[in-house]
Amino acid sequence: MIKRVLIANRGEIALRILRACRQLGIEAVVAFSEADRESRAVLVADEAICIGPADAKRSYLSAPAVISAALATGCDAIHPGYGFLSENASFAEAAAAHGLTFIGPSAEVLERFESKATVRALLAKHGLPTIPGSDGVVADEAAAAKAATKIGYPVILKAAAGGGGRGMRVIESAEDLAQLFSLCTQEAQAAFGDGSLYLEKYLIDTHHVEVQIAVDKSGTALHFGERDCSVQRRHQKLVEESPSTALTPKVREEFLARAAKAIGAAGYRNLGTLEFLVGPDGKPYFIEINCRIQVEHPVTEMVTGIDLVALQIRLAAGELMPMTQGEVERRGHAIEFRLTAEDPVHEFRPQAGEITTFRSPSGPWVRFDSHLYAGYEVPPYYDSLLAKLIVWGNTREEAIARSRAALREVEIGGVETTRGFFLGLLETPSFLKGTATTSMLDSIGTADILAAAPKARA
Amino acid sequence: MAHDTERLGDLLDSLLPVLVERLHETGLGEIEIERDGATVRVRAEDLDAPVTSAPTPIASRAGVPAAATAPSAADERRHPVHSTAVGFVKLAPDVHVGGKVAKGALVATVDVLGVAVEVRADHSGIVAKLHCATGDPVEYGQALFLLESVGEVKL
Repeated sequence: MIKRVLIANRGEIALRILRACRQLGIEAVVAFSEADRESRAVLVADEAICIGPADAKRSYLSAPAVISAALATGCDAIHPGYGFLSENASFAEAAAAHGLTFIGPSAEVLERFESKATVRALLAKHGLPTIPGSDGVVADEAAAAKAATKIGYPVILKAAAGGGGRGMRVIESAEDLAQLFSLCTQEAQAAFGDGSLYLEKYLIDTHHVEVQIAVDKSGTALHFGERDCSVQRRHQKLVEESPSTALTPKVREEFLARAAKAIGAAGYRNLGTLEFLVGPDGKPYFIEINCRIQVEHPVTEMVTGIDLVALQIRLAAGELMPMTQGEVERRGHAIEFRLTAEDPVHEFRPQAGEITTFRSPSGPWVRFDSHLYAGYEVPPYYDSLLAKLIVWGNTREEAIARSRAALREVEIGGVETTRGFFLGLLETPSFLKGTATTSMLDSIGTADILAAAPKARA
Repeated sequence: MAHDTERLGDLLDSLLPVLVERLHETGLGEIEIERDGATVRVRAEDLDAPVTSAPTPIASRAGVPAAATAPSAADERRHPVHSTAVGFVKLAPDVHVGGKVAKGALVATVDVLGVAVEVRADHSGIVAKLHCATGDPVEYGQALFLLESVGEVKL
């Protein structure tokens, strides 16, 4: 039983968790930094507690501050959201040591799934195809060179402790490797406190396809379909949709079932996402796991009708899976657009400042998850996500048409946003055909996409 | 203005103790006295902590007509002491209404999972009001108590 949850996050996800708690009849306390005193989650919450200054290292990333805040407010559980402490095994362990339920996998599970190299080997053993790569972490440059020669260039060098698109570099040749190996090690050490690297064959023109899974304490594992997150800029997802256009129906069902089976058997628990690359051959290769709720989870909620955050809380509380795989029905098509405070005209330069005007879109099957309001000051300290527009349609075409209409209704004044970019993307042939791959923005410039957007008041 | 400042300082030195005493005796909320062309107004704030010893735990508000827009001297003399962490607070023995605190003194600790995080006073002064008690949960930046500095008046 969970009675009172400390929400240890900010922005739209703090609000999303608050809503799930209220729906479940669970009390919630929002933890916030000094920079977020006027945030919508804090204003809407019944109770909120300041845990530190704007600097995330002393607030949202401080395990002692977060746990102490949970104890000070009489909470019995902590929801870490995404980012920050959400996949931190020692945080989960410390929370448990203080009698708090960590809403996510246990510390033990997080530890087992922490290193990308180890996880790849583990899931390969349980039947998931993986991209040809080094056998775990490469000990040194010589070992990396040997592995790269065996796989064939180009390869991608990745930090074992990395994530979110950070800590990876494409290596085109043996000369590149000689030049960049120690630099990558240093970068990984500086960014993640762990310089270990592994490498994989670099696949070109791939779709990024991920599977939403959930596992209860007894090991019952279900999947909730896939999401295609191929529209990316420098490994940062911009648009996500479900189902993926890269899978044939036959490949899809077999692949989803296999993913759920493997993750259950590998001992994973709670909510998670398995990420795959689908090459031009149409086959998915496992790349990594995310042990948390993800930004793009609403896409799955829209096609399944299942509240994933509520499910996550119930599983963390020790409940068994409240449904069978057969009861998870996927219907229609959903697309999410991440509206961020970035200026697409100027290399997606991050923006901060006061939101002067704010108008959210509405209408049938339009969902808008946002923490904004007119007068809100976007702080410069955190990520730039402002809102997620999620739209559902019976077909992909219907979802796209509805997305255009919804995006035209959105008004966010005071900062530059990615809205115009998405309006252009919705006129871009490769996106409309569903053939956009992760390298799309390398071949089509941002300027061309922006130019495709219909003029205002058109 | 230097002359005014000096004069106001003298005025406060001679008047303030009398006014504060009078406030207590009469139970009035506010007393105003005009002398030498300057007005001195002393007001008892809504301090819920019982006032045990005059004259210090009284908020005063002094102003001369010529300097009506200058920052209030009283505000500059009142210093909330803020928590430096989130956790359970323990106040130092001197931290009670009327207690004297020296600048830099350890005035409280906040227990963060067994680690005592120090709270030190930024100013010397007398504790005018408590906002928490030992054992209370406190958040980062929360005002723990109010310090009132004495013997220095600025315009």
